[in-house]
Amino acid sequence: MSSRELDGYRSGQPAQLADVLERVLDKGIVIAGDIQINLLDIELLTVKIRLLIASADKAREMGIDWWEGDAFLSKGNGRGELEQRLRKLEEAAGLPTSPKQEAD
Amino acid sequence: MITPAATLSRNGLGWYLYGIAAADDASAPLGARLAAGAEQEVELVAEGPLVGVASRVSLAEFDEQTLPERLSDATWLEQKIRTHEHVLERVLEDASVVPCRFCTVYRDEVELRRFLSERRETLQAALDRVRGKVEVGVKAFIDRDRFAAGQARQNDEIRQLETRVSTAEGGRAYLERRRLEQLVASALGDFRGEVAERIQTRLLPAAEDGHALPLQAPELSGREEEMVFNGAYLVTADRGGFEAALASLAREIRDDGVDLELTGPWPAYNFVPEELGAA
Repeated sequence: MSSRELDGYRSGQPAQLADVLERVLDKGIVIAGDIQINLLDIELLTVKIRLLIASADKAREMGIDWWEGDAFLSKGNGRGELEQRLRKLEEAAGLPTSPKQEAD
Repeated sequence: MITPAATLSRNGLGWYLYGIAAADDASAPLGARLAAGAEQEVELVAEGPLVGVASRVSLAEFDEQTLPERLSDATWLEQKIRTHEHVLERVLEDASVVPCRFCTVYRDEVELRRFLSERRETLQAALDRVRGKVEVGVKAFIDRDRFAAGQARQNDEIRQLETRVSTAEGGRAYLERRRLEQLVASALGDFRGEVAERIQTRLLPAAEDGHALPLQAPELSGREEEMVFNGAYLVTADRGGFEAALASLAREIRDDGVDLELTGPWPAYNFVPEELGAA
């Protein structure tokens, strides 16, 4: 639970990759001039990356599905890869499966 | 295309620039903090009143020709992006900073210093704007069940339909339920259009500035609920007034099924000039 729950909004979560991406890839000063990378190319590439991650199905096709298996990103709300693997193991072993946590 | 040999630094190392801070902010403690940061060695390149927060990197790694391939390597990309952000967050704990975009790389220290010196005025103006301030993110998500319940409280037609749905049977119940779903969906459509303006109206007066950002799909936001607002605000570093306004809005909007989430503090990515042309 967040330390700010009493104020009625959530905060203090680990930074979501999506929030980092939309800042680091799209914002911040762009310096045209004598640098190694041609920024026009970078602009095109970031557009390409954005298009890829905008559609999860498409992203999975391309192998860009890292947010799904990241325990931090999936916040342990029952959809994380580790939890799925744990449930599979429990089922295979004939154990009662872990209760699904309520999404927060 | 092969990069002309004359432009390559002798040891194949260039400078990755994370951001720019003021030299008088970037005191010894900041240097120590950056040094303790572990994952990447970060140096402060001082030039007049400004310092560039930078790391030596392999030019081959950031070469224009090979970069497209690296950018489609999710592991490489995430690691570099997280490093960029972590370095700037450590700076932000001690100093105001103008963040650079991902992959701002100089071939050598001379070019980096020339940039800091030739663009001094523009960079100082950008620093002045963010001095003593940070960026925070505000995201709003809607819970459909709570939204429907809120509508039932406010809208007589919906409330009466709900009552009829609970008592009707068979085909009639089906039709009434369909009608109820349509009414709630239509109310949600209207609400989507209004909610961003409502949030902006309440939060902008408590901030220096603010921008709406593109909404994130659930696959990206990590939450099942639909995102109905995504915004960035430039606020004073203590955030007191802004958090009070946010708490008051959150309590008010909660009955409509909306949950607010605060992120940050971030370096002021959304409040620095988009582009600095060549000097």
